[in-house]
Amino acid sequence: MSTHPLAAPGPATPVRVSRPRLLARFSQYVGFTPAAVLFGVFFGAPMVMIVLYSFWTQNGYSIESRFTVANYQTIFSTPVYIDTFLTTLWMTAAASAATLAIAFPFAYWLARYVRRGWQRPLLFLVIVPFWVSYLLRVTSWTIILGSKGGLAHLLGLFGLNTPSWFLYDRPAVIFVLVYLYFPYAALTLFSALERFDWRQVRAARDLGATQARALRTVMLPQIRPGITTAVIFVFIPILGEYLTPQLVGGTRGVMIGNLVDNFFEEAQFAQGATVSVLIAAVVVILLIVFRRSLEVGEMYGR
Amino acid sequence: MKRNLMTRREALRAGAMGAGAVALGGIGTAAASAASANTPVTFDMLTWNDHYDPKKQLPAITKETGITVRPTLGSDDGTMFIKAKESHQEFAVVSADALWVPYYHQQGLTVPFDIKSFAVSKQLYSASLDVSFWKAGSNYLAYPRAWSALRIYYNPKYVHPAPTSWEVLLDPKYKGKFVRENQPTDIVAEAGLATGSKNPYNMTTAELSKAKQFLQAAKPAYLDLVSQNTGVVTALANGTAWFTSENLGTDIRVKQAGGPLIKAAIPKEGVVGWLDAEMKMIGPDEDRFEQFINAWGQAEWIPPLFKEFEEAWFNESAYKLLVNAGMKELADAVGYNDPEGALKAHLKGPQKNPGAYIQVFNEVFGA
Repeated sequence: MSTHPLAAPGPATPVRVSRPRLLARFSQYVGFTPAAVLFGVFFGAPMVMIVLYSFWTQNGYSIESRFTVANYQTIFSTPVYIDTFLTTLWMTAAASAATLAIAFPFAYWLARYVRRGWQRPLLFLVIVPFWVSYLLRVTSWTIILGSKGGLAHLLGLFGLNTPSWFLYDRPAVIFVLVYLYFPYAALTLFSALERFDWRQVRAARDLGATQARALRTVMLPQIRPGITTAVIFVFIPILGEYLTPQLVGGTRGVMIGNLVDNFFEEAQFAQGATVSVLIAAVVVILLIVFRRSLEVGEMYGR
Repeated sequence: MKRNLMTRREALRAGAMGAGAVALGGIGTAAASAASANTPVTFDMLTWNDHYDPKKQLPAITKETGITVRPTLGSDDGTMFIKAKESHQEFAVVSADALWVPYYHQQGLTVPFDIKSFAVSKQLYSASLDVSFWKAGSNYLAYPRAWSALRIYYNPKYVHPAPTSWEVLLDPKYKGKFVRENQPTDIVAEAGLATGSKNPYNMTTAELSKAKQFLQAAKPAYLDLVSQNTGVVTALANGTAWFTSENLGTDIRVKQAGGPLIKAAIPKEGVVGWLDAEMKMIGPDEDRFEQFINAWGQAEWIPPLFKEFEEAWFNESAYKLLVNAGMKELADAVGYNDPEGALKAHLKGPQKNPGAYIQVFNEVFGA
C-alpha cells in the first residue's frame, strides 16, 4: 500500500467534511441557482430540443423521433441554403462593420471631448429609439425609403431619381440594421473608452508617437475587450435577423433567418431546426474566436 | 278489506298537488340543467384573430353562457394542426381551412355534430351547410365561418391588357411590380395552377418541378413578399406595386387607402381560395360546443368584425345588418352574398409532402 508522500505519518483516518463546511460549500452556489434554472429552462432545454429535432424525421406534418441525418444532407446538398448562408454572413459582416465604423467615432468624441455633464444626456438620446417598438422602427423605414418617401422627396428636390435599391434590396437591409444596432455598439464602446486613461495617449505623443500611432498602439489594445463585446452584441443578433429583411428587403434582401421562418411557418420543424443549429454553430465558433480578445488579463501581461 | 277511497274533492286536491309537484320538479330539473349549462368553464380556442372580437363579443359570451373563451392565435393550418394534435385535448375549438377540416377528423381529433340542430345555423346561407367534404354521414364536421377566393388585382394604368393568365408574371415589363402576401404554400400552388396542375395543393414531384421553373422565371416580377395584406394594399395604393394576387375586396381596400382604381382579373388557369370553420374538438367540454357556437355565431357580432377584416362570412342574417349599416358595396365586393363562389376556387388543404413545397419556395426565393 503506498502512501502519499506528503501524508502525515500515523494511522489513516477517513477524510470527513464537517456538516457546516458542506453547508458552506453548498451555500456559495445558492445565488447562482436562479440564473442556472433560468438558463437551463429557457435556454438549455430549448437548445437541446432544437438539436434533437434537427436529427429527427419529418413525416408530413409530424415529427418522428427516428434518428436521421437527412435534414443536414438536404441543407448541405441544396445550393440555395449554402448561398443564402454565405450571403447572410457577408451582409452581417458589412452591417456590423458599418455600425462599428459609425459608433466608434461617436463614442470616441463623447468620451474624450464632451464634458461629463453632457455625456449622460447625449447617451440618453442614443437609447431613446428603444422606447419605440422594433416593428414600428423598421416599418417607419419602409415609409422613409419608399419610392414616395421622405428620402425620395428630398432627392427629388435636387432633381435626382430614387435608386431602386433604396428599398426592397440588400443595401436597404444593411442600412436599417446599422440604424437598429448602432445604440448597442455606441453604448458598449463608450463604456470601454470612458474608463481609458487619456493621459497615456498624451505620454505616447510626448515620446514622439504620432496621434494615429498613439491611438493604435496604446488605446486600441486596452479597449479591445470593449470592441469585441460590441462586435458580439451586433454581429450575433444580426446573423439571426429575419424581420428586417422581410420588411425592407423584398425578394432580393433575403437572409438565412427568413428561410428558417419559412420552414416553421409551414410546420417543417426538423429542417427549420437544422438550419437553426447551423446558425448556432457559427455563433459558437465566432465566440470561441473572440474569446481571446475578451481576456482582459492578457493585455496587462498576466 | 277496506279500500282507500278518496272523495272527489280529495282526488282533485291530490291531483292538483301532484301536478304542482311535477311542475315544480320540472322547474327544478330545468333550473339544474340551466345551472349546469352555465357552469363556468374556460374554452381554449386555437384560431385566427379575425374570428372573434375580444372587447365586446367574448365578454358577452361569458356573461351569457359562463364560457370564458381564451384564444390562442395560430399562423397557418399546418402549425395549428400540430399544435392541436400535440396539445392533448387542450383546445375545445380549433379553426381550420377547407380540406384541413376532414383531415383533423381522419386524425381522430374532432367530433361531427348535427349542425341543423344548432339554433344559430338558421342564420347561415344554405350553401355553407352543403359543403360535401365537411359532411360525415348526416353530421357536419365544422361550423362554417367565412371564405374568400383570390384574384389578380391590377392597376389598369400600368398593367394592360388585363391579365388573363398567371403568365402575366413572366412579362419583363412588370419586373419588380408584383407584391404578394408571404404564403409559401399558396405561392407554389399558384405556380402549379400556372403550369397546368389540377390539384395545386397536392402536386406530384413532376408538377412541383414545373411549378419551380415557373416561379424561377416569375421571380423578377416579385418585388416583395409582405407579412400582412395591409402591406399589399399600401404598395398598390402608393404605386410601388402594380399588381397582386389577393383576397376579394382588395380593389375597395386600395380605394379606401386613397389609392388608384384597381381591377380584378380571374386567370384562366384558376385561382386558390379558402373557407374556414370552427371544429368541435374531442375533449372534456364537448357538450358545451353548441352553446358556444350559438352565442359566438350570432349575426350581431359580425358587422364590427367585417368592418375590421372585410371578409365574406357565411352568416346571411349578418349580410342584412351590413346592408342596413351602409356596407353593401364592400360586402358585395368581397362576395359576401355569393357563398357559392367559395367552392369555385382551389381550396386549401394538407399536402402529402409539405416539405417539398417549402423546398421549392426556398430554392426560388432564397438568396
